[in-house]
Amino acid sequence: MMKTETSTAPAPAAFEPRITAFVCNWCTYAGADLAGTSRLQYASNMRIIKLPCTGRIDPLFVLKAFENGADAVLVSGCHPGDCHYTSGNYHARRRWTLFRKLLALTGIGDDRLFFSWVSAAEGQKFADLVNDVTAKVRKAGPFRAAHPGRRAS
Amino acid sequence: MKALREAAEKLLREKRVSLVIGYEGRKGRPAFFAAKPEDCGRLAYDASCRQNLAAYLGKPEIRARLPVALVAPPAVLRSIVVMSAESQVAPGQVLALAVDGDSYLGTFDAAGAAELLRAKYSTLAPEPALLERVQGLLQKSPAERAAFWEAEFSKCTRCYACRAACPGCYCSRCIVEKNAPQWISTAALGHGNYTWNVMRAFHQSGRCTLCGACEAACPQGLPLMLLNAALDREALEEFGSRPGYDPEAKPLIGSWSADDDHSYMR
Repeated sequence: MMKTETSTAPAPAAFEPRITAFVCNWCTYAGADLAGTSRLQYASNMRIIKLPCTGRIDPLFVLKAFENGADAVLVSGCHPGDCHYTSGNYHARRRWTLFRKLLALTGIGDDRLFFSWVSAAEGQKFADLVNDVTAKVRKAGPFRAAHPGRRAS
Repeated sequence: MKALREAAEKLLREKRVSLVIGYEGRKGRPAFFAAKPEDCGRLAYDASCRQNLAAYLGKPEIRARLPVALVAPPAVLRSIVVMSAESQVAPGQVLALAVDGDSYLGTFDAAGAAELLRAKYSTLAPEPALLERVQGLLQKSPAERAAFWEAEFSKCTRCYACRAACPGCYCSRCIVEKNAPQWISTAALGHGNYTWNVMRAFHQSGRCTLCGACEAACPQGLPLMLLNAALDREALEEFGSRPGYDPEAKPLIGSWSADDDHSYMR
């Protein structure tokens, strides 16, 4: 009697980074929208979370994204001087300047944490940014492999 | 220390304060609360007094007894000035019995403490050995840094002694206790430990006076001062921030300038 076995396990898929983007409602989200309505093709690895303003982005959001499986995080908002709420992006900028250094000290460098200003008119910049960030994270590899001690709680 | 005891006794006798918070002469130098002039003979101070007594100013039991006086080495003087700048202590409600090593320097309010600091201690900085350790860490690869902190943070039992010891941690409800939504897992495991320790340090950025009380209080010996010192240097280099020298200073995070660096922004 012969027993035939068919393997249904798929070949191991190539690493597809998951990137969480925290963007402001007024500039970068509108820029992403323009990229879409302009039919620009760009990497599909970015998951966008829209917030009223970059000033609303608590550093905890970034850490939570990594905890929940993001391989990288992008924070993007209005150019300096363009904030819908006048100064939200200035407040955010000061926070990120310190926070990114703290994360770098703990091993999360600029291949996993990205910051940008993208205006509502910069659809092409947004598409290029996503492609570039995705390429960098693809190189950096999965977050969990780089931080094995971070057992999910 | 005779001068310190006499000054404390005088404040209580003249009813300028209802309580003097200091250190007791017993082993371990525990905090000592003198409510009567005759208690002041038990006060002592030396370099082994690592607890930052300004942390008590955030506690409701102590706030109910204002005005109070504190025995304060330079780092604690800075803490009092920071709390004053953050409107946590009203003018005249806290007097500092300033000490440094073996000498008693006088009694000061927050404004007077700031003046003393600017005159005598304008160059307080993290210990060179501490900064060397930060530099050493930064020279390692990101993977090595991650491994270093994962090993350290894995020891954390989430007792929050670091928070209790810190005068900057005066929120009546800390972010780690908020659970709808729960931003920081309270389980003493990887992600929660990382987020807690990193956020604790970050919430002190531009406010930490490098007194070392958090690290001294940690029962697991986590090198918390590495995080604090790294942030302190960064805040100084980027924004010229020197917390604890001006009772009118605006908080570093919470204010901004159009000229802030953003070379890392794409």
